[in-house]
Order: sequence, then structure tokens, then C-alpha cells
Amino acid sequence: MKGRSRFALGAAVIGVPLVLALLGPLFAGEPGPRAVSFTLGDGHWLGTDFVGRDVWQQVLHGGRPVVLTALAATVLAYLVALPLGLISALTHRSWLEELLMRPLDVLLAVPSLLLILLVASVFEPGAVGLALLVALANIPDAARIVRAAAAEAAARPAVEALRMQGETWWRMAVGYVGRAMLRTLAADAGIRLTGVLYLVATAAFLGVGVAPDAADWAVMVDRNRTGLFVQPWAVVVPALLIVALTTGSNLLFDAALDRRTAEKGRQP
Amino acid sequence: MNTPLNTPRDASVDVPDGAAVAEISNLRVEIDGRPLVDGVDLRLLPGRVTALVGASGSGKTTTGLALLGEHPPGARVSGEVRVPGGGPVGYVPQHPAAVLNPARRVGALLYDIARERVRDLPRAARRTEARARVLCALADAQLPQGQALLRRYPHQLSGGQQQRVVLAQALLLGARVVVADEPTTGQDALTKSRIVEELTAVAAQGIAVLLLSHDLDVVRALADEVLVMKEGRVVESGPTERVWLTPRHEWTRELLSRQPQFSGGEEPGGAPTGAPVLHLQDLTARHHRTQVLHIRQLALHAGECLAVVGRSGSGKTTLARCLAGLHRNHDGRVTLDGSSALPRSLRDRDRGQLAAVQYVFQDARAAFDEYRPVVEQVARTAVRLRGAEAPAATAEALAVLAELGLTEEQAHRLPGRLSGGELQRAALARALLARPRVLICDEITSGLDTVTRRALLDVLAGLRRERGELAVVLITHDLDTASLADRIAVLDAGEMVEQGTAARVLSAPSHPFTRRLLAATTR
Repeated sequence: MKGRSRFALGAAVIGVPLVLALLGPLFAGEPGPRAVSFTLGDGHWLGTDFVGRDVWQQVLHGGRPVVLTALAATVLAYLVALPLGLISALTHRSWLEELLMRPLDVLLAVPSLLLILLVASVFEPGAVGLALLVALANIPDAARIVRAAAAEAAARPAVEALRMQGETWWRMAVGYVGRAMLRTLAADAGIRLTGVLYLVATAAFLGVGVAPDAADWAVMVDRNRTGLFVQPWAVVVPALLIVALTTGSNLLFDAALDRRTAEKGRQP
Repeated sequence: MNTPLNTPRDASVDVPDGAAVAEISNLRVEIDGRPLVDGVDLRLLPGRVTALVGASGSGKTTTGLALLGEHPPGARVSGEVRVPGGGPVGYVPQHPAAVLNPARRVGALLYDIARERVRDLPRAARRTEARARVLCALADAQLPQGQALLRRYPHQLSGGQQQRVVLAQALLLGARVVVADEPTTGQDALTKSRIVEELTAVAAQGIAVLLLSHDLDVVRALADEVLVMKEGRVVESGPTERVWLTPRHEWTRELLSRQPQFSGGEEPGGAPTGAPVLHLQDLTARHHRTQVLHIRQLALHAGECLAVVGRSGSGKTTLARCLAGLHRNHDGRVTLDGSSALPRSLRDRDRGQLAAVQYVFQDARAAFDEYRPVVEQVARTAVRLRGAEAPAATAEALAVLAELGLTEEQAHRLPGRLSGGELQRAALARALLARPRVLICDEITSGLDTVTRRALLDVLAGLRRERGELAVVLITHDLDTASLADRIAVLDAGEMVEQGTAARVLSAPSHPFTRRLLAATTR
């Protein structure tokens, strides 16, 4: 079974970072004394980072904030973008569509980092605030993609047939249009997750939401870059874990969707 | 599309006259142990048209694609396919737009191939030679004014022109064999006769044509040799006239007898009486700012069947969509039962108005949600429009589906596992569950083979007998189908040029356009 092996591969690839992120802090133990920056060996089997902490321990600690913040931000962004996109794709009132989508264009024109910095200078957000901000920065993109995908599905005869049956909005929008654009959304969610991860990391680098030396995979990649050629593991390991997280989620989504298509059967 | 191959044009010339340019022997293609094609033998001779006929799913396309060396994914193939002359085999698919790169102009699509073919010439001569070859191929593909088309994008061409561009690509490649897959499906009579001319011209250049079609008129007009397929096997083959006049196999006889005999329409339609169920006054429909349809007056009575005929682009589908509330951009009055004006948009119609006018879509497959079983979708009509309880609605859906010839097991399948004809029946059932006063059928038989089409029209005729009050609007480009109606309205370029009883319009057409349409059908 080709679909099944792909499913297993996806699960394996995403499993490593997820297990590390969720269970890592339980096994990390107490931080040892600091050593010299960017060294290898000497009891630190992944070496030390830019301030001389044990990289392996940082990796164990650093997953949870990344995974939780990024996931929360992605989910939040879609929670707003989905209804906005679906409503504007399915309405025939152009003023409503303009009303919903135009303000987002204004938001789209502001660079997301600038937006985060502006708000941060006023409110000083914590981890929750950061997740909200990153979600806000992602809503315009996500809503546009939802609207474009939904508009294509909403123009199909199947939707006209549903209207002809006097079907409810919910059944049309969620039951059919939502289902039809699942594949596009799954692909977009995978890309968005990656983007969100690095936006969180950049914000942290600038001192928003996360402490600049926090145990956080994204922050690790950012801060340990300087020692990349001296002690690559401090960058490579967290980077690989982030890549595994996003690639794995894409693979998993694809395999799950393929399986449902296969069950649907061939067309005669 | 075939990738351009670097076979010199002359390679195929050494085939002696009378020898086959392509040959299939004992071809068997199976998927999961189920044979799609079983033991097919086929010889294509230069300058001859060979037709494969049969119902959809009989293995025509699988055989045709085997000539190109293409097989469905996961297929087990045995047997032999030989193209002795070498060189590519041209393929003109049913939907030519799908093989033309939409982002490139027609000229670029053709020059890409022509350039490959003039590689061996001196650099200076290449450009002129390529241009000459492109123009020659366009002329051969019956696009004599092709030069004007070179600057256009594929979407700026009509379906027929796209088809000829694909054909020109095949000719540029130096194909000695062309496979034409359902070239006339869904085309009106005038376009069909042009396609027949175009393929005749191709064959006249000494190219072997394999025609895959369920359109028996076209097969008879074009083919020298016919192979009749059923369930993946060739049940009969022979010269076209012989097969037509003295069919040996039972299936061939059925296929030919099911072909609608074009009649002048003998029974006079009962003159409609009483108040019309649907009445339309001064209807003007637009696409954006362009007016595409204007009809001063049209009435539909209970129990009556009105056929709306015209070429593609004549506005007949727009008329149907205006009535159904699917096309909002129109002015004028559409009244139901002489009293209440129907809102222009579907969204403003109440349940009763929605139920009263139901619409059946041309593409049944696209009109069903591919993720839910058919019966579930059909039953929703009764739930939403008549307030039925879900179990009662399902029972009623199964009953209506059974009446239209779908078993309970089929009804529980997903749309993807039903054939085009079966899905169209399900679509009819979905509309009927609303107990409509007016049923609008938009080209519901185009794209179906003759046997399936006939069966579907029988279903429709049965419905009209069972439900005497049901008024039907039949949108069609096909005069055979229209001859089943009581009255016919003829549309040309958005104007209604003629309307009258079917018998009158078909036997004594008064408008020149109707006469041309009739002439093209009976040729």
C-alpha cells in the first residue's frame, strides 16, 4: 500500500519533534553549569551554545514554546480567516465582500514584523500576546487563500444544485465548499506553520514575547548562527526539528487526503 | 500532448502502399483483474478512417490511447501495438483545451514543434521553413485563415478551433496516424459537419484516422471501416455500409436501432390551453454589460414539453438559467401560474418557488457533491423544499431512483462510482423530489452515447406520462432530441427566430437559420 507507507513516513517525521517538544521538558533535568561557548564534547554530546549552555538540554526544553505558540497562532489565524473567506466567496453582494476583504488589504500592506513591533511597543505582550499578534499578521494572507479556493468551489454546478435544493448556508459552505478546498488549505497550513515559526523566532530575536536567550528552537537557530562554522549542531539540530515538524505535517495531511480520495474509488 | 519527437518526416514514407501504418494485435488491458479491453485487433491503413463505436466504458479510449503507448495507471497490458512507419501518433482529445498550454499563444505552441523539425537545415533557412510548415499545417487542419489565430491564446479560440490547432500540432509532428477521441460530442449540427469535413481532409492527405465516437451519424459519414465494441471486446467489424445494412451481431443491431431516426415529427402536439404555468415577458439577459439574450414573450403550459434549440452561444442555456434563477443579470418579468412574479435570483425565492421550478444540469458529475452518497443528496430536496422527515425523504428518494432505473445498491454509491447516464438519472430524481411544476433540462443528453441517451429520453417521456401536469423545458442543440417535444423555440445569437409546434418547425421551418440547422442534421 503506497498510501499507508506515506502515512507512516509522515507520522514518523512529525513524531520526533512532537515527542521531543511535549515530553522533552520532563527528561531534561536540572541545567548544569555553563561551559565555554560553541564547544564540542566534554560531556555535552551536542556541544554548547552561544552562552555555553548544553545544546541537548536546550533542545529538550525549547520545543514546547515553539510548538504551542506556532500551533496556536496558526489555528487562531484560520479561525478568523475561514469564516471571512467563506462568507465573501459565497455572497453575491459585492459590498459585503468589499467590506470584509478590503480592511485586510490594509493589514496586508503593513509588514508583519513592523505590525508586531508597533503593537509590542505599546503593550509588551507575553507568549499569549505574541501568538495573538502573529495570528493577526497571518489573517489577511490566509483569508485571501481561503476566499480564492472557496470562490473556485462555489462556482461549481454542485453549489448551484445545492442552492436549487434550498440547502442551508452551513451545509453549502462547510459541508461542500469547505470539504472541496481541504487540500489547498492543508498545503497552506503547512507553509503557514513554517512562516509562523520563523516570525515567532524573529520576534524573539527582537525581544518580543520570548526572552532573547530563551530555550526555544527558533530562537536557538537565530542566536547560534554566529557559531555555525565552529559548532554547527546548535543550529542544525533545532533547524532540522522545525523542518521535520512542517514537512511531517504536510506529508501527514497529503497521505490522509490521498486515502480519502482512494476510498472514493475510480471513476468509471 | 505528445512531446515533439525528432523523427524525420521521411521515415514513414518507406511504408509500402496498402500496408498498415499502425497495427494492434490481441491487445488486453486489465486493472485489478477486470479487463478494460480484451483481445482487440486493429489495422489502420493510410488515408482510411477507421471508427471504434460502442457505449461509454466499452474500451474505445483505452484502445485509442494504446496506439500512443499510453495506458491507465496500474494497468496490466499484453498484446502487441506496432507502428511500422515509426513516428509519432497524433491524438485529438475530447477536450482539446486541456492539452493546449493556456499561458502561450497558438503561434508559440506551433513554432515550438516546427523548430524541432527543421533542426537539420542551415541556420538561415530555419525560420522561413518553420513558418512555412506552420502555415501548411494550419491549412491542412482546415484553418486557412490560421495566420490571424497565431497571436491568440487558446482560450480565445472556439472549441472547434482548439481542436484544429491540436490537429495542426499532430500534422507538424509528421504524424501518420491520428486518433480523434469523440470529436463531435456536445457540438451542434453545423459544427459537427465542419468536423466531418476537417477529418475527411486529413484522411485525404494519406493519414490514417482512428475515430472513437458514439455519434453514429458522424461515424457513418466518415468511416470506411467500423469496429463495434462492447465491454472491451470487438463484437463486429467490417466496412461501414455492410455493418449498417446487415449488422450480424445482436449488440450492433441494438446500437443502430437505438439511434434516433430523425423524423419530421409526425404527431401534432396537443394545442396548449388554459393559463400558462410559466410566462415570460420582455426578458433581456446580459453578461456584464453585453446583452446576450432578448425574448419578447414565451409561455409554457402545464404538461407541455418545450424544446429550446440553437447552436452553442445562442443563449439557450442563459434562458434556462434565467428561468431557474441562476442567472441574475436580467430584466423582464417571469411569472409563475399567471400571478406571482418569480424573483430574479434563486436566493430570493421561497421554498415553494424553488420547488416549482427545478433545473437539471448538463454535467451531472459536476453537479453532485463527490464526497456524499447519491441517495443522501437526492433526499435532501424533499427535506429542504417540502419539509419531509429524513427517513421518509430517503425512502422517497430510493423509490424515485428505482422508478428511474437505479438500484438501491447504486443509490448508496458515491457519485464517482456511477456512470454518466446513471448520474443524470439521479440528477433528475433530485429535481423530481421537489415535485416541480416546471422541469428545466439543460443539455442533459449531450455527452452520452446513443444507447444511454435513448434510455434517458425514454425515462423523460415516461415521466411526462406519469406526471401529466409536469411542464418540461428541454434545452438542446440536437434536433433529434428536440423532436420529442410538443413545441420548439429556435434561438440564434440571443434572439428567438422561430417558435411553433414541433411538427411545424421540423417539417416547414420558416426562418433561414432553422432551415440550415435542419439541413445540417439530415445530411
